[in-house]
Amino acid sequence: MTTQEITPTDDFGIAEASRTNLWKDAFARLAANKLAVIGIIPIVLLFFIAIFGPYLTPYDFLAQDFTARLAAPSSEHWLGTDELGRDVFSRILYGARTAVAVGLVSTAISLIVGLIMGSLAGYLGGRVDMLVVWLTDMTRSMPALLLAIVINLTLKVPLEAWMEQMYLATKNGFFRQTMWVDLVLVFGALALIQWPGYARLIRGQILSIRSRNYVLAARALGMPTGRILTRYVIPNAMGPLIVAVSAGLGGAMVLESAFSFLGVGVQLPIPSWGKMISDGLRMWQTHPYLLAGPAVMMAIITVSFAWLGDGLNDALNPRQWGG
Amino acid sequence: MSVLLDVQDLQTRFQVRKGFVYAVNGVSFQLDQGDTLAVVGESGCGKSVTMLSLVRLLPPAASIESGQVLLRGEDLLQLNLRQLRDVRGGEIGMIFQDPMTSLNPFINIGTQMAEPLIYHRGMSKSEALARSAELLEMVGIPDGEARLREYPHQFSGGMRQRVMIAMSMSCEPAVLIADEPTTALDVTIQAQIVELVKELRDRSGVAVIWITHDLSVVAGIADRVIVMYAGYIVEEAPVDALFEDPRHPYTVGLMGALPSLAGETGTRLTTIGGSPPDLVDLPDFCPFHPRCPYAIDRCRKENPMLEPVIDASDGGHRAACWVDIREVELEAGAAAGSV
Repeated sequence: MTTQEITPTDDFGIAEASRTNLWKDAFARLAANKLAVIGIIPIVLLFFIAIFGPYLTPYDFLAQDFTARLAAPSSEHWLGTDELGRDVFSRILYGARTAVAVGLVSTAISLIVGLIMGSLAGYLGGRVDMLVVWLTDMTRSMPALLLAIVINLTLKVPLEAWMEQMYLATKNGFFRQTMWVDLVLVFGALALIQWPGYARLIRGQILSIRSRNYVLAARALGMPTGRILTRYVIPNAMGPLIVAVSAGLGGAMVLESAFSFLGVGVQLPIPSWGKMISDGLRMWQTHPYLLAGPAVMMAIITVSFAWLGDGLNDALNPRQWGG
Repeated sequence: MSVLLDVQDLQTRFQVRKGFVYAVNGVSFQLDQGDTLAVVGESGCGKSVTMLSLVRLLPPAASIESGQVLLRGEDLLQLNLRQLRDVRGGEIGMIFQDPMTSLNPFINIGTQMAEPLIYHRGMSKSEALARSAELLEMVGIPDGEARLREYPHQFSGGMRQRVMIAMSMSCEPAVLIADEPTTALDVTIQAQIVELVKELRDRSGVAVIWITHDLSVVAGIADRVIVMYAGYIVEEAPVDALFEDPRHPYTVGLMGALPSLAGETGTRLTTIGGSPPDLVDLPDFCPFHPRCPYAIDRCRKENPMLEPVIDASDGGHRAACWVDIREVELEAGAAAGSV
């Protein structure tokens, strides 16, 4: 047999085999999963709104119309107005920004911390491993909301005082925006709550994959360590991680809402869904749409991320693929 | 024939919570070009650790304390990692016990098979894939080209072991180490795999080290046999001499546990009571004596060395035993039965 003969003559030739990699196969699997595809639509919409929201909204999110306070949903105000006469629909669209920012940034921070701690624990083992496991246990033993409240209460005032001092010293306008303190605290609290989950997952994955036979077999074939990591360890560790991140994105958004509800969330000029829910809750018996809008949005996004995560799990696990 | 692989006084031990476990204790053997050496013993006798030591694929807790592994005169234990990687897969191929988990589930067979060819032989991807398709057909997987696109889960256990064999043989190694490659397979598939390796060996001239605890496989494939116990070689002989004239009580015990078509019906298979010890110290006694029906006082005080046996039918027949078991045959027969 020569190389000539195996040049592909159709879509299923051997050259195709080299191009058909895991990701391509996984994508095909994902596309065939109805729930996952349904889940992707709201998520794509969410990101789209987060980026272009300000250009789509019929009203400015701060514009107050005192003639139409607490108006019921109508053709003018699709989801009604709140007690200051602000358009709820516009505020929800703006709120997507907060949700996406919170989800992405806090997940990214906790993922990076989790990756570093988890890989160190998995690879080095011994004392490092014990320390990391102890740290994750400590963090996880504390109730998440309590932790967030404690962080907010203890750090907010000193941080703001420090910012004020820096402003007086440097006259730099940046230090006047206390919004940054909020962001740092909320992202920090979310990351602190979430990193142990990622760290444990990654540690477990590395421990289990490192001792798999195919890693030994690859080493016995003389494959270099870097290649074993990229071709054997990481792809096999990816599935659960992607699923966890997908669920974590939704989870972070819900957590942020809980923070806002308790008054320790993002106090941005831009509305947050959690803040809207907590504001709307006070009047839910008389004006349920104030609560319903952001709450339904939140539910849709959370469920979408869960469905997408499930779909990704199935798509990324070739062992579950039928012949 | 010339000596291809010369292992001298190999010692490997494991670090455990309290001190060490001595897994391989001064193992020496030679492998000639194109020869097949079987390594026999129960689980936990140090067979696998010995072979993993040759190419330094040991788990982190294990360390090679002394010895030489000379492949064509070059000591593998002195190579740096880069040189060692060229030996692994390039000069020494390995097959493992469990084919179900020995292939990466995330990469299709073609890509997986192509990697060592690209890495060791510098082939292009398309050359490597073409060669892989040939290799698949060579190990008896028809329609190799199409199957390159498939993933490991689409192959049966026997098929996967064939793929593993094809991969380990792809770079035409001088030595093939097969670590119980048939243990996890059905009996019919076992025979096919044994036949396949024999065929490949005869065609390519690769020297084979076949680790097993199944003596019936040994008789069919090996030229010479090493019997290991507690990290020691306790007997070494050409395959015929070992089966006709075993000189170590452990070898005798292993053979007694082997069902035979020629044996009388109604007789019980003998077993060796207990299991091999984990040595936490290097023993100053024969490590087999607690399970040995032939044991004498000397066995409890001195560890016998591997020495040529008396009246050997073959010069290469060596055993590590204080007792000439032929002289106590009758008494021992009774003793072995009572164990």
